Amino acid sequence: MSNKQDQDAPTTSKPAEKLETLAEKLKAGKLDLKVEEVEERISPSETNVFDK
Amino acid sequence: MIQKSAAFPISLIFPPQGHFTQPYLALPCLKAWLEQHGFGDVALVDASIEAYDHFLSPDELSWAAERVAEKLPLDKFGESGELRFDELEGYRAAAESAVSASALIAGIDEAKRIVRGEDFYEPDAYLPAMRSIYHGLRLFSAAHFPSQLTPHNFTMRLANDRSEEVLAATLNEDENPFIRFFRERVLPGLIERKPRLVGLSVIYGSQLIPALTLGRMIKAALPDCHITAGGGFLAYIGKKLLAAPGVDACLDSLIFHEGEAPMLALANALQAGESLSTIGSLDWYDRSSGSAVRVENPQGHPIRLEDAPTPSFDGLPFEKYFSPEVVIPYDINRGCYYGECAFCTLPTVIGPGYRTRSAKKIVDHVMELSEKLGTRNVNFITDCMPPGMIADLPNELIERKANLRWWCDARVEPKAYTPEGARNLHAAGCRKLLFGFETATPRLLKLMKKGQSARATLDVARNCTDAGISVTFYAMVGFPSETREEARATLDFIRSNSDVVREVSLQTFHIDEVAQTYKDAEAFGIEILDDEHADLQLYHDYVSESGMTQTEAAEMFEEMMAAFREQLPLFSGDNIYYFMNKSHYFLHLARDVSPDEFVELCRRRTERRSTEQAVERGLAPATDLGLTTLPFRYTDVVRALAHPLARAVRPDFLTGRYVEDLIPRAGAEIGSIRPAESALAYSANGAEYTELSIDGKQVLDALSEVGSLDLLLDSLAGADERGRADLNRFAARLERAGVLSRTH
Ligand code: SF4
Repeated sequence: MSNKQDQDAPTTSKPAEKLETLAEKLKAGKLDLKVEEVEERISPSETNVFDK
Repeated sequence: MIQKSAAFPISLIFPPQGHFTQPYLALPCLKAWLEQHGFGDVALVDASIEAYDHFLSPDELSWAAERVAEKLPLDKFGESGELRFDELEGYRAAAESAVSASALIAGIDEAKRIVRGEDFYEPDAYLPAMRSIYHGLRLFSAAHFPSQLTPHNFTMRLANDRSEEVLAATLNEDENPFIRFFRERVLPGLIERKPRLVGLSVIYGSQLIPALTLGRMIKAALPDCHITAGGGFLAYIGKKLLAAPGVDACLDSLIFHEGEAPMLALANALQAGESLSTIGSLDWYDRSSGSAVRVENPQGHPIRLEDAPTPSFDGLPFEKYFSPEVVIPYDINRGCYYGECAFCTLPTVIGPGYRTRSAKKIVDHVMELSEKLGTRNVNFITDCMPPGMIADLPNELIERKANLRWWCDARVEPKAYTPEGARNLHAAGCRKLLFGFETATPRLLKLMKKGQSARATLDVARNCTDAGISVTFYAMVGFPSETREEARATLDFIRSNSDVVREVSLQTFHIDEVAQTYKDAEAFGIEILDDEHADLQLYHDYVSESGMTQTEAAEMFEEMMAAFREQLPLFSGDNIYYFMNKSHYFLHLARDVSPDEFVELCRRRTERRSTEQAVERGLAPATDLGLTTLPFRYTDVVRALAHPLARAVRPDFLTGRYVEDLIPRAGAEIGSIRPAESALAYSANGAEYTELSIDGKQVLDALSEVGSLDLLLDSLAGADERGRADLNRFAARLERAGVLSRTH
């Protein structure tokens, strides 16, 4: 994964601890797993009559 | 014939920005005409496709990414605690670049390979490739923020209709990407070639700044070279442009209307060292007194179209167009035989006068070009196919066994597009027709002087659809006095006939100075507003006595477009790229995929992408995944920027106008964005931005640490059924978005 911020970030908790926290949140139904895909809206300038 | 070539090299240049799917026709027509009259050394340069190809390269995108990081550092936004309206565009550009630059740099060559090769015909390869191209241009544009180069437009910070700003833009290397491009990629070739005459073809408003930029640079490098310009856009504003102080540093003359006769006369006069004062349809600067004095010559006569030779496309870089096959543009006529529509200016800027070629000549030429260029695809360039030609051309094509595939614009002619007429057209290779439908409201059709009814248009469309020809309707929203209800009636009409009309090219109405709506504004119940600072003004704002305001029309555009996206399979999800690149859709039809089959293909793709899929246990983050935490939510920003008011503060594509005093109003109405942390993801495979919560990002991080989804589920000790199901759903959505992929 090319994630600069992650690579540079100091490790505050060990992987096992992180997993534990995730598992707890998941169990309590408190894990926010919302995903938003951005659909580009088409503006008048993108439907130019002259475009081929 | 005297060979004048060696002594008199001519370069004909199409400046950026024009569409990137096929070459433009005007310059090949001029080249052929000049060659036929003895000028054998005429070079064509499509600087627009060269620029797209160059900007969309790993080196240029890497350069752009570094520049964006310096110019728009993500952590400098929202320092006041909130993201203000005037920061939104920059923030969006910064966020996108931060997360997608590396995938775009790595994937851009592959995206271009796909759109230029056989994989083009595979939607699951083509659509992500096209998205990469669109996003690549956003990245490149961000390096010149706030300028924007898209596949359809080029705009800079300010309006196109003020000469002072246009000329300043030609010198602003920080925001005008073409200065460096011309210096490095276009000028060296010209300096070596030393043309005596350069012709710049300016069809669109988006070419104005690049054309003047190039003209200025050539004049500085080659002071003896005469630089002229012409083309559709300059037919409108050319007189004003030459009158503007400072333009003489960029151009020597301007040609109005069709270029053949004036260009030949200009080349002859320059070669012979004669005065330019007798050349028809040419305005020029007389520099004999030491300063540039503008001279307006009288209008000349255009050539007899039947005398024009086969256009010469020699020297154009066909391998660079974003298309797997060449589509030949060819003009069957010039001008419009009808010429009455109140909003239309085409009949006034082409010609003067309406002329057509014979069906025989047309077929001679296109068959010759088809053979030479190794393609059977043709785009007939015509404002409207004349009624006689609707029968003559197919008959000639069939008789001569031309075996071509073609598309063109057309006017509703019920007598010509009968069921038999349409079948004949299909048999002759016609695969797509675009009709001016405009509106379903009879009152407005009358006011527009369209000379047709919605019913007749529908009958014509049905006949064509039944014959297997794809039909597009041009529709208009916001014609003076149109009410919301009337616009919605148009929408309903189209929706209830979606078995016939599968594509709608929707435009918002605008007024330019050549149209009847401007000249006779009162008759349309409008008051035209002038902008005293806009010395190159072509388009005008107006106040209408009744009906929607301009802003309301822009809102209605959004409403109608949203409805089309829901209803028309070709508009749903990313299938819209087929519509936005009409030549690409045509190429599928040219392979004899029927419009019905294509619509079905689009529908199935959308369905597949929106239904939940079984989750692969081996899912892991995509190898090229970019993931960045953001202080303000990306989706909030994109939504705010899609507001019609937010759009109105940017220069419009066609008009080049923007509404300056709207900025505070837009700011007040749209408001600021509150901080809310999120994570933005992008991978080449999905080629779209996906926003997650911070929790979601942590799950992704955990996934990369443990290696795959099944391992993660195993490690989450105690996760119950519901928890597992939640995670599976999350993973399925991310797989669809290309954020997760299968590990093998
Ligand atoms: S809209 Fe079409 S039919 Fe009407 S005048 Fe213009 S080119 Fe001719």
